[in-house]
Amino acid sequence: MILAIALVLIAMVSAEHAPAGAHAGSLAALVAKGEQWWKSSPDPRDPVACATCHYDPDETRGWAASFPKYRPLPPPEGRVMTLLQANVEAVQRHYGLPDAEQPALAITAYLTSRGSGMPVSPGIVAGQPVFESRLRVLAQSVRRGERLYTRRCRSCHDAGVVAPAALLFPHVVDGQVESLERFLERHRPDLPPLGWNAQSSADIIAFLKSKLAGRQVGGSP
Amino acid sequence: MIQTVFSVSLALWLLALAFSPGADAATVITGIVRAQSGHPVPGLALLEKGEIHNNRWDRGTLVDTSGRFRIELVEGGQYGLHVYASGYIYKPNAVKVETGKTLDIEVVLVPEPTRANDPVIKRVEFVPSEKSKGTATIIRMEVADPNGILGPQVLAFDAATGRTFAMTPPRWVWSLKSNYPDGVYQLEIDTSKAPTDPRDWHFVVADHKCNTTDILSFPHEPKPPQVIRP
Repeated sequence: MILAIALVLIAMVSAEHAPAGAHAGSLAALVAKGEQWWKSSPDPRDPVACATCHYDPDETRGWAASFPKYRPLPPPEGRVMTLLQANVEAVQRHYGLPDAEQPALAITAYLTSRGSGMPVSPGIVAGQPVFESRLRVLAQSVRRGERLYTRRCRSCHDAGVVAPAALLFPHVVDGQVESLERFLERHRPDLPPLGWNAQSSADIIAFLKSKLAGRQVGGSP
Repeated sequence: MIQTVFSVSLALWLLALAFSPGADAATVITGIVRAQSGHPVPGLALLEKGEIHNNRWDRGTLVDTSGRFRIELVEGGQYGLHVYASGYIYKPNAVKVETGKTLDIEVVLVPEPTRANDPVIKRVEFVPSEKSKGTATIIRMEVADPNGILGPQVLAFDAATGRTFAMTPPRWVWSLKSNYPDGVYQLEIDTSKAPTDPRDWHFVVADHKCNTTDILSFPHEPKPPQVIRP
């Protein structure tokens, strides 16, 4: 009898704490993996990790909320990037990994969880200087994104209605964690693919995020 | 009467000019450089003019033993401030300075956990340019990187003029993101108006992964790099 009551109680507590969906634990695992990637280098000969230089939690807390934004890479590489795209570039460069998408997605999930509750503010990081030239490039990206959205998405989805869903990524579908970039890439197979790591994906996401300024990262849509 | 009014007006105008905000005020970046442990760290503070990582090097200064530095600028705007210190990973900061204002910043440096991946400055030499008949000096610096990932930051700083230079690689490099070659980098200095003194020159190199050499100052004799314990 006591055992039965205990089992029922465990089941109730588990159900209460399990996030929606059977695969929500996978996202938590991805965040944990991302923290691991963030804090330790995969190359024992080169122990410099992301956290070696970006060790201050207050510095990184506003990062997720500030993307997409202009990343000042050496010209002509500088462009507006999503957080995932910026992480891919950083993982390739600093960790020397040719296939950087999975580690970068994990780091993206980690940084997004770190930034939970921060107000969405594309192009602007709290406490950092605001560069007008970068905001101008971001504004161009938003305009390109709006045109792309009109061509590819607007016939079915009103941007104002669908934009909040952008806050739910990375998310879990059928046991697989998916980035917003990959979702957009596969969403219209009848059209030329956007390319998850391409400028066009960053543009559409910049357009959607421009409609979300002030909402909370990780908040419900 | 008219003369008195004119004199008073002139005096007031001059006073207004003298005390107006920003009038003749210097445009300055100043700051302090510390290690994570809090102690001040000497080194170099070098500036790119415009967007950071554009490789358009401009002014610079030495960071003194109390960790302080001060760079006076011709004009305000956007700059890439890079701070280097021997044994530490260099720190890039995108900054914005308003004309006539002073920007004061704190830079915290992280020690390099290993020096095995650092670029190496093998030698530096100053030679008169044969082409320019004594009106120019060529600085040659031989650089190698154990991982073959040198970047454009092969830098020379002249403390006498406060100027920073990216040295010219031994062969053409297509992109700033490309891996730069090992070999002898060069810089030609115009000495037609005044000679240059090797004692004023400081050199530092960083690769694409931010691994950074020690700062090489006069007499420009490289020493084995040391790991700084945090």
